[in-house]
Amino acid sequence: MGTDTAEIADLIARCALRDRKAFRDLYGRTSAKLYGVTLRILKDRAEAEEALQEVYVKIWQRADRYVPGGFSPISWLVAVARNHALDVLRARKPRSDDIDLALDVADAGPDPEQAAANRGERARIDDCLGRLDADKADAVRGAYLDGFSYEELATRHEVPLNTMRTWLRRSLMKLRECLSA
Amino acid sequence: MSDDADISGGSEDRFLAAEYALGLLTPAEHATVAARLRTDAALRADLSFWRGRLAALDTQFAETPAPAAVWPELERRLFADGKRAGWWNSLALWRGVSAAALAVAVIAIGVNLATPRPDPNAFAAQLVAALSAQGSNVSVVALYNATTGQVRLTTISGSAIPDKDYELWAIEGSNPPKSMGVIPVGRSMDVKVSPDILAGFGPGTTLAISLEPKGGSKTGAPTGPVVAAGKAAQI
Repeated sequence: MGTDTAEIADLIARCALRDRKAFRDLYGRTSAKLYGVTLRILKDRAEAEEALQEVYVKIWQRADRYVPGGFSPISWLVAVARNHALDVLRARKPRSDDIDLALDVADAGPDPEQAAANRGERARIDDCLGRLDADKADAVRGAYLDGFSYEELATRHEVPLNTMRTWLRRSLMKLRECLSA
Repeated sequence: MSDDADISGGSEDRFLAAEYALGLLTPAEHATVAARLRTDAALRADLSFWRGRLAALDTQFAETPAPAAVWPELERRLFADGKRAGWWNSLALWRGVSAAALAVAVIAIGVNLATPRPDPNAFAAQLVAALSAQGSNVSVVALYNATTGQVRLTTISGSAIPDKDYELWAIEGSNPPKSMGVIPVGRSMDVKVSPDILAGFGPGTTLAISLEPKGGSKTGAPTGPVVAAGKAAQI
């Protein structure tokens, strides 16, 4: 956990100095996680694979922008992957059958190193999500983890778009209060 | 009910950062917020609050081994100029670096000749190495003086990196690098050459500088990238 986080931060720093060996190591240690991200959001293996490649190109090119002490290094990498996958999603032509084609990608079990590092934060968000109605908490998770838009969430939860917006905004208000406490 | 109407509208500032972080916005809205973030510090702060908190959910992304084709393709795309396993293991790189460093060495010699020398005999026993590497701005000239048994390091360019140290190494042929200690970059310094390094020290010895954790490599071998290297030559 601690040392692991430090090692990944170090690998990113070395990538910024154009160390290819460090980049290879970084890929070896993090590609399964980031592929998990692109696959879960894009729900298409070919697209997720292509996205993964783009993500590592960005990581190599932008490694110098990682600021140690801000985001944890793995969160930074996940954010690069997640944002890229969301960009791909947004650029897609709307397809009505997306949801039916969705792969069933299971939630990860607790990943020991991350879990240990993030236990506090994780417990906190779980606790705060737990205070929302179950379907609303699901909607928030669906947005973050699956990249569902308001529209997709409305379809999935079989409510009108505006209702979904209202639900989610209320939930976000409560979440913010709880997370700031 | 009226409360619901209040917050169901198209865009509502107090939710923007959260919606942006979650990726709920339409492509057009998303682009608008992205543009606003450049100038709106409050919105940026709000966004960083949400990103930080939501990142706790990252553990839920299941690790899935990446398809085997991705890495070779990445390597091809990013490093099309040949496949090097790593900086450190590449002999070709060392040779290339030394060749490229020649130009700098010439300058170094010029500078060296210009400085007054107390003992002309010492001149013959001097070695110079210009240390640099492609993609790195660290460049150092090393001058070995047999009379004093010291290497004088002069930084031509490069600067210190927070929480990191530069470490100097001597490499004889294909032997593993031997540490000559942590060195400052940005000012001159004399490094005493230890007897075990001195035994094989001479023209052709490669001097290299790697970036290491504070205090230097813990393993006795370089662990960080090589930021400069060059072969010693007699002058």
